[in-house]
Amino acid sequence: MSDRQLDVLVICGSLRKGSYNAALARTLPGLAPAGIKLRSAPTFADIPIYNFDDQQTSGFPAAATAWADAVRSADGVIVVSPEYNWSIPGGLKNAIDWVSRMKDQPFKDKPVALQSAAGGILGGARMQYHLRQILLSIDALLFGKPEVIVTFAPQKFDDKTLALKDQTAIDLITQQLAGFEKFIRRLHPNA
Amino acid sequence: MPFTILTICGSLRKGSFNAMTQRALPGLAPAGLALKPAPSFADFPLYNADIQTASGFPAQVNVLVDAIRAADGVIICSPEYNFTIPGGLKNAIDWVSRVPNQPFAGKPVALQSASPGPVGGARVQYDLRKAFAFLDAFVLNKPEIFIGSCASKFDEKTGELTDETTRGFIKQQLAAFEIYIARVDAKK
Repeated sequence: MSDRQLDVLVICGSLRKGSYNAALARTLPGLAPAGIKLRSAPTFADIPIYNFDDQQTSGFPAAATAWADAVRSADGVIVVSPEYNWSIPGGLKNAIDWVSRMKDQPFKDKPVALQSAAGGILGGARMQYHLRQILLSIDALLFGKPEVIVTFAPQKFDDKTLALKDQTAIDLITQQLAGFEKFIRRLHPNA
Repeated sequence: MPFTILTICGSLRKGSFNAMTQRALPGLAPAGLALKPAPSFADFPLYNADIQTASGFPAQVNVLVDAIRAADGVIICSPEYNFTIPGGLKNAIDWVSRVPNQPFAGKPVALQSASPGPVGGARVQYDLRKAFAFLDAFVLNKPEIFIGSCASKFDEKTGELTDETTRGFIKQQLAAFEIYIARVDAKK
């Protein structure tokens, strides 16, 4: 086991600027162990809606390729996403649908950890379990516990700065990131 | 007056088996159902609440919302992508769900799926059922339509649904859907 710093990609499932999940994603670098360096994924906002005919006629869109490259080159991925209609946002699913069709599919054998924030009592849990099911279909390696499920999100972020102020959530995230580093190093032959 | 039924296909490709299924429906429907295909969701932007706040709902979203609102029922024919709903269809549902008085509330919905594998897209249907539970739609229970090994069930050249067993099941589902809509509508 080497001790090189791991490159971990952070994907946010929401596109809106004031997103609690984007705010959660921004807290990660400050809570990560020294062995993990985090970077943000390129946006999936400009990936067109999946159509096999487009793939046939003009190949993969540049935005989908850029997103896939970012996943492929990372040692691990953390997805931080809201729940829409009891599941994952369509935009995030659309990005997954595109990259799932690529040769050298980027999620294959990729360590992935999940986080969610939501206004309600379940904190986006349904999104997380559904995303686990989806990532199984593309052979990702899913981190188990601790889970990061930020319930009643409006109470847990600063109104103005959107900084995460809830100590319980901060502790869980810190534990998850430490656990994720170990998880990646166990699974990666050269990490 | 027949019930007007909006049919939504979850795939955008021209040669889609689910689009072929959708096209087969009018020929298998009872006289009490008038089916028409929904406007496309291909040009919907990916959902972003900031867009909604800054410029309202995109025009093409409103077109689909109006079509759903005007229909007595909705039938979704969708492939399964990565064990679940295609992202594009989910994105359309995400947009529609944010409209005031979202149109799936109280709306009868029936599900169909075709796929080349043995499961016939079952997982997309059960995930759609979850999303529609949240949206308070009335989703028809049985018969379920899972068109497995679908490549063998359509004419290669014309795209026509040729499998008699499947045609029989779809007829039964459409007949059941008519009865279901009448029951749901009576309590409106």
